[in-house]
Amino acid sequence: MLEDVYVAGVGMHPFGKHGKSNKEMAYVAGKAALKDAGIKFRDVGALYNGYIMGDMTEGVAIAKDLGLTGVPVVHVENASATGSTAFREACLRVASGQADIAMALGFDDIVRMGQMMMQMYMAQGPRIESMVLPAAFFAMWAVRRTHEYGTSPEIYARIAAKNWNHARYNPMAQRQSDHEVTIEEVLASKPVAHPHTTMMACATGGGAACAIVTNKKWAKKLAAGRPLVRVLSSQLQSEQYVDGHIFMGAVVGPSELTRTTSQACYEEAGLGPKDVSLVHVHDAFPIEELMYYELMGFCGEGEGEKLVLEGATQIGGRIPFSTDGGLIARGHPGGPTGLAQVWDATQQLRGESGKRQVEGAHTAAVHMMGAGSVCVMHMLHRENA
Amino acid sequence: MAKQVPLEEGYLVIPEAEGERPRLLGSYSPEAKKYFFPRRMQCPLTETPVEDVELSSEGVLYSWTWVLMPFMGAAKMGDGKAHGVGQIDLPEGVRVQAVISGQMGDWEIGMPMGMVALPIKKKGDTEMCSFGFEPIRKGE
Repeated sequence: MLEDVYVAGVGMHPFGKHGKSNKEMAYVAGKAALKDAGIKFRDVGALYNGYIMGDMTEGVAIAKDLGLTGVPVVHVENASATGSTAFREACLRVASGQADIAMALGFDDIVRMGQMMMQMYMAQGPRIESMVLPAAFFAMWAVRRTHEYGTSPEIYARIAAKNWNHARYNPMAQRQSDHEVTIEEVLASKPVAHPHTTMMACATGGGAACAIVTNKKWAKKLAAGRPLVRVLSSQLQSEQYVDGHIFMGAVVGPSELTRTTSQACYEEAGLGPKDVSLVHVHDAFPIEELMYYELMGFCGEGEGEKLVLEGATQIGGRIPFSTDGGLIARGHPGGPTGLAQVWDATQQLRGESGKRQVEGAHTAAVHMMGAGSVCVMHMLHRENA
Repeated sequence: MAKQVPLEEGYLVIPEAEGERPRLLGSYSPEAKKYFFPRRMQCPLTETPVEDVELSSEGVLYSWTWVLMPFMGAAKMGDGKAHGVGQIDLPEGVRVQAVISGQMGDWEIGMPMGMVALPIKKKGDTEMCSFGFEPIRKGE
């Protein structure tokens, strides 16, 4: 990056099945981020809207609610990695010196999106190049993992229960359990695709999230006594060929994509896995989180299960993952998901996370996969103002 | 038996002779010495031209799952309640994903699988087909 980039403000509209419009959710998240940063919309020099499915130019229409300032507005879409990609574009805009302050605003309702996609599929009629359901695709990762390492369904249930329990302390999370979620409950929930159950699958609903980034000069002006959150690195990669490459019907590409993207992200940041305090990943299903422990270098090949059994990836453990509940419990509306990760990571690094605070958090790795497919990863780091 | 034809052109061939398995249409890159499915515009590794090829109709099960949902895209699968999905490695080094016949408990990673025509819809007396796989049991 050319200029140093910092997160100046974050905001969210709660995730859930509340049926709110994109416009309403985006407005709430945008205003919350502006308030958190201590600026007005007129101070924003570029707006990147992230949504997977909405009306044409919906992002421009939403910008009108925030203010008619003439700001450049761009629509970004990269499937589940839409919000992460919008965040990256905002960072690059500031890094290039083209704007002092840029906003990434993600919104979607994946339930509405599912209905629209089903209508589209039905209108097109059956096609040979159909994508298998994400639950089925990742279930095949899990079945293969069990074949290679003997991984039991209890391991997947442990990861899911951990994320459900992290979400209990996140007011923005979709799944708010009134009790400590147990492994037994997760295993007993309705099967979706063997070995996955409904409580292992990501929560689907609507929501919005926003992050405002800026350069060092403005970050210091806006800090208001809080620590600064610097974006140390930003990487986005698409697929590279591997043996057994699946070209048709895959949800995401080879899992190696996470390894190469995270290596590039560590290199750019000048850090390694040992320097990271907390991690966000695309945990649409627990098999993903399990594999990312290894692919991102937090343990050796085939050692992910050991991390789970030791409790290393829960808050209070050696390397907490999905500290806001992750996709499984915080939720996964689509466009805003990657920005919700940035929301939590920023609060964690500022020490503002209350009961879900990771003690002494200084560096957060934030990872997302997008169907198609892409992998996006950022490294955020606490600096004293 | 109803006549079976591919649902879309360019993906598979269905032989008229009974007992012969359908075959997928893929691409071969002479430069990279790699096979791909579905057909590619050019070799994704070397950016050189590819040739159309018919791929093997039998392979080995790499992974599988039992999906408690009836749909794959707009096509209704199985008994309308659940269906199997698998990843199959063909001898050319191509991995494909498809509906697999059978029930939960029928599949084991590494088992041989054979390709079948998978009827998706009817047009008069003709069945419009995608492709699926079935386990090949010993003695078959």
